Amino acid sequence: MHVPWTVKYRPRRLSEIAGNQDAVKTLSDWVKSWDRKVPSKKALLLHGPPGTGKTVSVEALADEYGYDLVEINASDSRTGDAIRRIAGMATGQAMFFGKKRIVLLDEIDGINLREDTGAIDAIVETIEKTNYPVILTANDAWDPKIRSLREVCQLVEYERLDMRDVLPYLKRIAVAECKEIDERAIKLIIERDEGDMRSIVNDLQALSSGRKKVTYDDVAGLAWKDRKEDTKEALKTMFSAKNCLYAKKVVDIVDIDHEMLFEWIYENAPRQLTDPVDRANAMKYLAKADIYLRIAKRENIWKFLAYVFDLMTAGVALSRERTEPSSIPMRFPERISLMSRTRRIRGIQARVGSKIGRRCHISSRSAVKYYLPYLRIIFENNYEAAAGLSRYFGFDEEDISYLAGDENSTRKIERISTRLTS
Amino acid sequence: MAVAMWAEKYRPSTLSEIKNQTEIVNRLRKFAETRAMPHCLFAGPPGTGKTTAALCLAHDLFGQRYMDVFMELNASDERGIDVIRTTVKEFARIATISGAPFKILVLDEADNMTADAQNALRRTMERYTETCRFILCCNYSGKIIEPIQSRCAVFRFTPLSEDDVAEYLQQIAKRENVKCTEDGIKAVIEVAEGDLRKAINTLQAAASLKKIVNEDSVHLVVGRAKPKDVKEMLELAFNGDFLKAREKLRLMLVEYGLSGTDIVKQIHSEIFRMTIPEKNKIALVDAVGEVDYRLVEGANEEVQLSALLARLALVAERVNQK
Repeated sequence: MHVPWTVKYRPRRLSEIAGNQDAVKTLSDWVKSWDRKVPSKKALLLHGPPGTGKTVSVEALADEYGYDLVEINASDSRTGDAIRRIAGMATGQAMFFGKKRIVLLDEIDGINLREDTGAIDAIVETIEKTNYPVILTANDAWDPKIRSLREVCQLVEYERLDMRDVLPYLKRIAVAECKEIDERAIKLIIERDEGDMRSIVNDLQALSSGRKKVTYDDVAGLAWKDRKEDTKEALKTMFSAKNCLYAKKVVDIVDIDHEMLFEWIYENAPRQLTDPVDRANAMKYLAKADIYLRIAKRENIWKFLAYVFDLMTAGVALSRERTEPSSIPMRFPERISLMSRTRRIRGIQARVGSKIGRRCHISSRSAVKYYLPYLRIIFENNYEAAAGLSRYFGFDEEDISYLAGDENSTRKIERISTRLTS
Repeated sequence: MAVAMWAEKYRPSTLSEIKNQTEIVNRLRKFAETRAMPHCLFAGPPGTGKTTAALCLAHDLFGQRYMDVFMELNASDERGIDVIRTTVKEFARIATISGAPFKILVLDEADNMTADAQNALRRTMERYTETCRFILCCNYSGKIIEPIQSRCAVFRFTPLSEDDVAEYLQQIAKRENVKCTEDGIKAVIEVAEGDLRKAINTLQAAASLKKIVNEDSVHLVVGRAKPKDVKEMLELAFNGDFLKAREKLRLMLVEYGLSGTDIVKQIHSEIFRMTIPEKNKIALVDAVGEVDYRLVEGANEEVQLSALLARLALVAERVNQK
């Protein structure tokens, strides 16, 4: 699968975060202060433009200091009740293994007040009751609809990143990916994306996809608009196309590589084509495109890409026979966001797998398959045996709470998977 | 008594302790007696004793301290040409100093190696035959390239007989002081389908639930170990909620780490329990088979399976309309 660099090179420790050092320090001092006593304001509101590292710094903090991160995407949980239920679990009593938690309510200014009835009240209530640090993020702290939240939070501002913050980070990526990128080109990207790290990294990836070298002219020659909006627009055109050539144009219009385009179409095809016949046909073509894509990549037979493009664009578009045209909005590929959201859990799983593998003469992947289901049962039901096996395999606390299936973590993933990314 | 994974604790350590695969064991014992062996290919389903046979053979050849001249690599963790070029070569090319006639390198899950890596391996195997013997383990020998197969003595491991599984289980239960009812043992044997690792793991998980292993506790384990999600996913697809079904699929692949092939297998077994016209059933089997085939060829699990779900939803829609 296509791994976006924003996922691959996501900072895992606080020291890896570019820029906003003061904000990051305030954040980590505040969270650590909970060990001594509960601070007067029980929630932080991290605010600042997109791509300045708000969510990433909370995730890195949790990773580095071993907090369990309970994430709630406020703009996605919709109702006050949903937030209350999830937040209740997060703020309730300590877990069996007593691991510390951070509750993260991401993108709270994305709450739709009309649909998300009572969401704000539920969040305020959560903050009042919480036994754990609660962290909120928002682009605009001064949005009137979150005024009541502002009052119960300590505000921490994240500023737009500048050249000094971003440059070393991008250079590291370039080296790791064996890409030769002109420093002037990097500077131009940073400038045009106005210090939004996510866009900068995405642009860098798109620009260097399929080439070893990126020059200033490559960057300057690009029409510069919001990529995500562009992609959505292009997809709209594609999904309403009535002939092949027209549908295929999307490949030239969009500014993302073909694997990412595939992900976009794969995400949206079944949403757009709601008639079962149309949908099954579209999915059939996507599955075929997938096969050609694998062969093209694995065997380096690039001529197969022609079929990939045709099937995933024209094949999908012309599957529309019974579905009426509609204005269902295009969505960002959920698979991509899920991969990034569940990275930590998958990391634990791989580690548990390799610990089992070492003792049981098996690969970590097979260990996950052949041993994990049984270990889970033992860990959920028989603490004594679980403790013994933990010694046997050398499981640490994180591994154990993963195996014991602490309710939060399973629900967390369920919740995450249903979440959309803006 | 220290707690351990029983499947590991009771793994035979010498060839004479292996009760099943008699013919294979006899041939391997000849290797140990004559202190000579060819490269070997152990093919067979999971839990039939391939790795155990390799470990036991090394033990019988070189004695207790066989680990000095023995190396185990898992191709799916450490695959790729680079590993073959470096790790394998480093190990294979240096002759033993401990008086052992040769070294043994076990490459587990060799069928997960790319064709390129297998070709690199083939050259290494030829070059260092003097100093090192290879044992390749795989589920399907068909995925091992022909030139390697022709350089190996091929051993085909078969699922264990019910009697053999029962004997192992009873022995372990006795040593671990676990009470089992006859039904309980029978139930374990049934779900294991000749896979001894699965049988022992099921027994151990069932023993962790209750003092006595009976049919109930075994079924509890089986129900938990095999999440109901596949069924739920199919129901969602059948009720026309494709998007929810795809979400469920995604969750299984990412969270449970289930493999696409496992899910395919479960879908396959559900088809004949569905209340749809017989003709549709066979058409679905055809579609499921196609997906399975594509997965073997390396296609993306979620994309292929969700196309299948869309197809299932379509069949359901048509049946409902009639």
